[in-house]
Amino acid sequence: MKPRVGLFVTCLVDLVRPQVGFAAVKLIELAGCDIEVPATQTCCGQPAWNSGADKHAADIARQVVDAFESFDYVVAPSGSCAGMLRIHYPELLKNDDAYATRARSLAAKSHELISFLVRVRGMKDVAARSNVRACYHDSCSSLRENGVKTEPRTLLASVNGLELSELKEPEVCCGFGGLFSVKYPEISERLANDKIADAQATGADTLLGADLGCLLHLAGCMEKQGKAMKVRHVAEVLADIHGPALGEPR
Amino acid sequence: MSARDEILSAIRTRRVKNAPRPARYAPPPPESDLVKQFADRARRTAAEVQILNDLSDVPAAVADILRGKNMEAAIHLPPHSPFAALDWKTAPGLSLESKSPGPDDAALALVPFGIAETGTLVNPARDSAPASWHFRPGLEIAVIHTRDILPHMENVFARIKQSGALPHTINFVSGPSRTGDIEQTLELGAHGPKALAILIVEEA
Amino acid sequence: MTASTPQEFPAEAHAALSDETLKVALRRLKTHFALGRQLAFTRYGDMEALREQGRAIRDYALSRLDSLLESFERQVKSRGGQVHWARDAKEARDIILKILRETGAKTVTKGKSMVSEEIALNPFLEANGMHPVETDLGEYIIQLRKEPPSHIIAPAFHLSKEQVAETFRESHTELDPRRSLEERTTLVLEARRMLRAQFEAADAGITGANFLSAEEGAAVIVTNEGNGDLTRLLPKTHIVLTGIEKVVADLDDVSVLLRLLTRSATGQDISSYVTVMLGPRNAKEADGPENFHIVLLDNGRSRLIGTEAEDVLRCIRCAACLNHCPIYGAVGGHSYGATYSGPIGAALNPNLLGVSAARHHTNASTFCGRCAEVCPVKIPLPKIMRYWRAREYASGLAPKAMTFGLGLWAFAAKRPALYRFFSATVAWTLRKLGGKKGHVHALPIMNGWFAVRDFPAPQGKSFHHLWAHRK
Ligand code: SF4
Repeated sequence: MKPRVGLFVTCLVDLVRPQVGFAAVKLIELAGCDIEVPATQTCCGQPAWNSGADKHAADIARQVVDAFESFDYVVAPSGSCAGMLRIHYPELLKNDDAYATRARSLAAKSHELISFLVRVRGMKDVAARSNVRACYHDSCSSLRENGVKTEPRTLLASVNGLELSELKEPEVCCGFGGLFSVKYPEISERLANDKIADAQATGADTLLGADLGCLLHLAGCMEKQGKAMKVRHVAEVLADIHGPALGEPR
Repeated sequence: MSARDEILSAIRTRRVKNAPRPARYAPPPPESDLVKQFADRARRTAAEVQILNDLSDVPAAVADILRGKNMEAAIHLPPHSPFAALDWKTAPGLSLESKSPGPDDAALALVPFGIAETGTLVNPARDSAPASWHFRPGLEIAVIHTRDILPHMENVFARIKQSGALPHTINFVSGPSRTGDIEQTLELGAHGPKALAILIVEEA
Repeated sequence: MTASTPQEFPAEAHAALSDETLKVALRRLKTHFALGRQLAFTRYGDMEALREQGRAIRDYALSRLDSLLESFERQVKSRGGQVHWARDAKEARDIILKILRETGAKTVTKGKSMVSEEIALNPFLEANGMHPVETDLGEYIIQLRKEPPSHIIAPAFHLSKEQVAETFRESHTELDPRRSLEERTTLVLEARRMLRAQFEAADAGITGANFLSAEEGAAVIVTNEGNGDLTRLLPKTHIVLTGIEKVVADLDDVSVLLRLLTRSATGQDISSYVTVMLGPRNAKEADGPENFHIVLLDNGRSRLIGTEAEDVLRCIRCAACLNHCPIYGAVGGHSYGATYSGPIGAALNPNLLGVSAARHHTNASTFCGRCAEVCPVKIPLPKIMRYWRAREYASGLAPKAMTFGLGLWAFAAKRPALYRFFSATVAWTLRKLGGKKGHVHALPIMNGWFAVRDFPAPQGKSFHHLWAHRK
């Protein structure tokens, strides 16, 4: 029997970039799983949790536990949302008798998309084609909360025609940080500019990443400054789903 | 309540953690023999290191070092220095001074312990060795016997404790004085010695 | 330059972002300290085991803080030293002034101490007729410039050598005004000469302590210049001012923490000088202070015990978190308007200055987690910042616009059907606004976003809509 995977779509993918969701579905099915998308999901609650609004965050966390605990796995195409489920839910619900254990077991079966494909499902390659010179942005939550580093690179290496180069400072934050980007726009912009300069210096024409938040922020800064680099979610490339990049003309 | 009692009772009432004492740490064992490692690591701290066959070679070596640095042929020895008993005639022209060294003078010290892990000299304060003399001069020349080089800082603490009452100060010296306070760029000789020379004496 | 306040963080940060000298200096932190740390870690071998040991040593000590402090006090007294306890900054300042007055001191040399900055000791001593002289080169420079430190271990890193030269020229008026001060070496030697006279003249010396050991009753300091030792050894009276959390079980534990401290701080395997200070000189010893005082400062530290922020007490003030923080790396230390800046500042300041006063410190973080990753004693700094944000939120101190917005959003996020409707509407609207060019340039809301970015237009229909209607 195939494992049943619940897709945690994430609020940004739902709103801005549904094709990342479809890319995730395709990849998860390729990895030999059945996929379902619970209709009672909204957001993982990060904005509330990171702002210290613990009551709101806990309400949302309970809703996610209810919606997803029956699956074998929960997969999110975002490092920070996966980190929320894996690391912060157990912390957030630790004093809630009805949910503490359930939050911990949900955490244990939740994964960031790419690491799920490679680590849990043993995926080694994809049948995709893309003639881009890409570089990869490790989001802080993918890198540090989920320990994802080699997995996207492994899969990208199998994409036909894709050339991958590395940033000089891949472990440095791009300055998104959720609401931080709105609360401290100038600092956020400085970090984005450093990241963009690093990416451009690699000679790549496309910037890939696994967290739509960082990507919207970087693409938005580039747009504003007229810097031309395509920005995409890595799942789109791996699933061979194309079309305009983030912020590109239709 | 006194400040002391108030602070201590605040700590007691609030505490919830009860962390166990961790097992003793075993530092990485020396990569080579102790003397070699000590010399290598000391050089890494920008100390100059020479190995002498015998304590009687010290005066000539001191004279050599001073000449090499174009310094005045004078060496400061603290009162009660064990080196007073050496035959200084082997270093003609070298004068011995007993007053406290100034910031451009050279001073000689016998160092009771060394640490191989870091190339460090360890100086417990005592009557024959004023602690401030490790900081006053422009050049410190330190003499250490091979047998006094121990693997780690922990071994030195154990030795000092074995020898009885603790001194007022134990100075660990690794290389000359330095600062990176101007543009993060290393400069030697901020307040303490601008140079440190170590003479390792090989004897039983 | 007058020191700013923590509340002025946004304005200070704004100014700092366009300060080119600062930018160069901040880049040097990365290339010198951060890289040096990395090399030192690689050279050492099993750094992870060492970090774990460091964490455990600090946790053990903190869970027995009372008995370790009592043991420390007993040992210091048994060798003729004196121990004073201060509940807060004012008590500490008063204790120090009293000691200085009783010994008839006037000129006071000082080793680098962040606790001294924390209690604003220098202005207080000056107001009371004392003459405090900072002797760490960086501290000396900023004392002459009347600036606060911008970094907890490199207080003057933000200055160029030209700025230092200018400061020396203005301050050392007794020297030849035509002398050349172009080289760093010349500057260092000039400070060496000027300060040596102060060391010789000082009546008392004040240093901090990096660690205290309970079993032996030792205070341990780490320096590279040797200024701490001249501060301790030359005057008649030596005062150590430090926080109560600095104590560990014994000197073996100190040995472990020293391996972590210098590698994490400057990338050195050990600093030039490590000094274990056990008491006043005894009759047989050749030199050293006749009077030895330790001032143990609480100032809110004990209040943290038992809270979710208590892990911050493990801190050994290495500054690795500053050197790796992207925010600190963009705006520098002065922007924080507080003694402690960067991630450690964000974790400490709400307790020291108040949750509301320090709100920018805790909020100006992306939670990128780099600080916790490099912290030698594994302090979960983002978790502690988040804890302070939660305290801020729960006490109703968070900005009204934010709580209102979050409340509205959360109301919808807890009602999936309503949320679906809203997200579909927003997606559709933004898509329309984006038009053919594919991105939205400005909106009357979310100024913070649009100030520096456009918004890539949504594809149009929401994922959930498309999923529900897929064939
Ligand atoms: S919090 Fe950790 S990294 Fe930061 S100064 Fe303290 S010990 Fe160092």
